[in-house]
Amino acid sequence: MDLQHITQEELEYIEKYLNGNLDPLDLKQFEQRLQTEAEFKSKVEDIKTVLTGIETQALKEQLDIFHEDIDNVSNPPEKEDTKVHTLNWKRLLVAAALIITAGSFWFLGGNSNERLYANYFTPDPGLPTTMGSSDNYDFYEAMVNYKQGDYKTAIAKWETLQKAKPNNDTLNYFIGVAYLANKNEEIAIPLLEGVAQNSEFALINDAHYYLGLAYLKADNVEKAKASLQKSNVENSKALLSELND
Amino acid sequence: MQEKNPTLSLNDSFIEAVKNNDPQVLKNLYVNNYPKIEILVLRNSGSKDQAKDIYQDAFLAVWQNIKQDKFIPKSESSINGYLYTIAKNKWLDVLRSSGYKKTIVASQLGHFEIKDEENNDIDDDILKDKRLEDVMLAFKNLGQACKSLLRMFYFEKKSMKLIAEELALDSASTRNKKYRCMQKLKSLALKN
Repeated sequence: MDLQHITQEELEYIEKYLNGNLDPLDLKQFEQRLQTEAEFKSKVEDIKTVLTGIETQALKEQLDIFHEDIDNVSNPPEKEDTKVHTLNWKRLLVAAALIITAGSFWFLGGNSNERLYANYFTPDPGLPTTMGSSDNYDFYEAMVNYKQGDYKTAIAKWETLQKAKPNNDTLNYFIGVAYLANKNEEIAIPLLEGVAQNSEFALINDAHYYLGLAYLKADNVEKAKASLQKSNVENSKALLSELND
Repeated sequence: MQEKNPTLSLNDSFIEAVKNNDPQVLKNLYVNNYPKIEILVLRNSGSKDQAKDIYQDAFLAVWQNIKQDKFIPKSESSINGYLYTIAKNKWLDVLRSSGYKKTIVASQLGHFEIKDEENNDIDDDILKDKRLEDVMLAFKNLGQACKSLLRMFYFEKKSMKLIAEELALDSASTRNKKYRCMQKLKSLALKN
């Protein structure tokens, strides 16, 4: 690789070309040189390889970091324990602080619902968009928006589909959790209530869990407890035991 | 041949995000697709570590092919399918290799359809380039300061201005520093 003999200017010039940032006139000149000067051409190829190498190695190292998340997910008991543990610890601290500063227990009720909700709520991870079938195309396209955190777009797309299939539980469930993720529990609640009535629904445990969270957000603790009781999701039990304390 | 579907431009931003190494998009792709491939490898005489290696190789190949427009995905789900196929082919290559042939009996490969005609044209050889390997190894072993500077430029695609600010340098010195880091990387790559 004959890369030792390249000036800073030349390097930046070639990079500009590779990134598609040359203006039309320069680009024309550049392409002419590529055709006529073999040495120049191989220089450009080499730099392309170097840039690709840097990027690929950087991504490769990043993938190991991504993978740590998978390992965490596949060992849930450990994670769950530490989470509950730290929550309790935080809860004690907050409680103590409130007792000392406010001198009243009564604040605790209202505040702790918000705080518990914040501690427990993470948006439903959504469905893996692995199915190639074309009839589900629109559904999964909205799922991509949902996973990117663009709840508004996801909701709009799903609601279009919902007009044709108003009683589709999967659709109603995801519209519901998207509304909840978008901080709109009033709309989420009736949707999730509807879904939660179908005991055959594949995501029924998640539906009860998110419905419980939505009630909690709306400060309806009794209904929240009732929903959480019906869910076998780990977090649901943990949250329920905190509510029952 | 059918014309390219114009509505597919909806996905342009997604493809752009992949090309620009958007961390959240890449992470979602990575995390969502792994379980299927782990199952495939585990059911076919492989270990978790092998699943991870194969998957990461396949992931890099898919990302490369998207960057170079060798594969233009029509939707996220078509990326998922492509990724799965490449990983599967890579695992098949491992199983067919001489080291494995001795220990694996054909009946253990029950879950595979060995012939995969429709996917034979998938090109995932980009990463087999020896010179690219040299650069990757050199970058891996580059000193931390240069490594992080080059990473910001070429992987995170941060602007010169932003990087200069982060390093508390002026833009001319940052550019020069980047140039010197590139020289260092190149000399390392040449030694390999």
